[in-house]
Amino acid sequence: MAIGLGLGSSCPWAEAPARLARAPLRALRVRRAGPSGHGKRRIGLALIGVILASSCSHPNRIVVGAKNFTESDLLAEIAAQQIERRTGLTVERKLHLGGTFVCHSAITAGQIDLYVEYTGTAYTAVLKHGAGPAADSVRQAVAREYRQRWNLIWLEPFGFNNTFAIAVRQADAERLGLHTIGDLARVAPRWHAGFGYEFLNRADGFPGLAAAYGLHFASPPTAMDLGLTYRALADGKIDVIAGNSTDGQLAALHLVALVDDRHYFPPYEAAPVVRHAVLEQHPEVGRALLELRGKIDDDEMRRLNAMADIEHKDLHAIAHEWLARAVP
Amino acid sequence: MNLVRFYLDNTREVVGLVGQHLLLVLVSTAIAVAIGVPVGILLTRRPAWRGPVLGLANVFQTIPSLAMFGFLIPLPFLGGIGARTAIVALVVYALLPIVRNTYVGISGIDPAVREAARGMGMTDGELLRIVELPLSAGVILAGIRVATVVGVGTATIAAAIGAGGLGVYIFRGVAVVDNTLILAGAVPAALLALGADGLLGMLERRFVWR
Repeated sequence: MAIGLGLGSSCPWAEAPARLARAPLRALRVRRAGPSGHGKRRIGLALIGVILASSCSHPNRIVVGAKNFTESDLLAEIAAQQIERRTGLTVERKLHLGGTFVCHSAITAGQIDLYVEYTGTAYTAVLKHGAGPAADSVRQAVAREYRQRWNLIWLEPFGFNNTFAIAVRQADAERLGLHTIGDLARVAPRWHAGFGYEFLNRADGFPGLAAAYGLHFASPPTAMDLGLTYRALADGKIDVIAGNSTDGQLAALHLVALVDDRHYFPPYEAAPVVRHAVLEQHPEVGRALLELRGKIDDDEMRRLNAMADIEHKDLHAIAHEWLARAVP
Repeated sequence: MNLVRFYLDNTREVVGLVGQHLLLVLVSTAIAVAIGVPVGILLTRRPAWRGPVLGLANVFQTIPSLAMFGFLIPLPFLGGIGARTAIVALVVYALLPIVRNTYVGISGIDPAVREAARGMGMTDGELLRIVELPLSAGVILAGIRVATVVGVGTATIAAAIGAGGLGVYIFRGVAVVDNTLILAGAVPAALLALGADGLLGMLERRFVWR
């Protein structure tokens, strides 16, 4: 019940049930005097209040979310530690939440205060726009629409572009002289592809790519879990996948990414997305995150991802060491 | 309702996926029965193996499906991507209830009954066929029933390895967060599970001699 009573003004929708939460003792006394439907209803409402209140963000606690892959977790951990050491606020981590849409639903519902999103993903998958314009305008368009529609603020990007990596085995690429996705179209009719469900169903995913490059594989691409596609490619069960360009596994498994010579994919610059209310209440959070601007390029991100995925180092330690070195 | 419209628009695909799903469950459960029941019987003859074998089946049960697929992909005959790998994983998950119920069912028979059968001069095979299996059929079938119902739910993970089934809608729906798509996979899977439970329950009542 204490949670229900200790509410700040940031949770107006939990206020009414919270007020009822002050009634439980009275309600219990009523119950002791004799069973009363009214008392039971009060307890029920009080419980709802507690549940709502406990799921609501606390005014002096920043909740950081992340999608369900290493890079997102790692960037969230870096952001969390940066906020902790610069502002002294308590940071709660809700990492590995699920895909883009889980994080987006969570932040628009106020369940998390910030997470790291990619401009191209926001542009096509969240805002549902078609083929993207040039790099800078994607970021501007996304920032403007996020502000208008959900009162969410895009801070400055980290500095790398995690695009879809249409990847093949290095041996195949060397043997057949494959450098670009255009080259792939040549051998595609004899090859099999395996893609994650998100790539197969996104606006900036496979159907558009196939149309842009005239890709026709020997069979329709196998729909499978994204993580399993890397292994299946390395083991020769499929010939082409769509991974992430900053993934540490590509190099470790001797896979190479083909160049998007027709610029089908929009830029996917990673940047923190924060609730406007949080920045207003705690401008120091925005200032702390601004220090991270442009600090991680493609190679640096790949290196950090490899530390987590291949060397299996602890995310907390990786983030701590990186911050100490790069943002002293 | 969205779901109804979705089914009307995609009837052929839905029917195909339900068919794949049923096939995955039927084949994997049949293989699990073919392996699990004999293993369960064996355990009643070699009690010393009971601990390690049931322990192993327990451990299998706890392996997360994606990790299991990861292990299976490089294997020469069982692995790869597609239905075969999915069936191997589903068999592994179905083994525990079948092996355990077979063992428990047979070893739970009153020793006096077994003694009487021996006294009548029955051989090992006759004892098993005429006395032990009929008397424990209820418990064994209950194990198969659990394995099947759980299997209908578990078979949705086949979509992670390109084996199709109703999990395709669930994975697709989760990837693009479309609740209608998630329900399009989850609702028929739940109905299939209920149907399988009812059907096997009927079989149990019909064939089990009490």
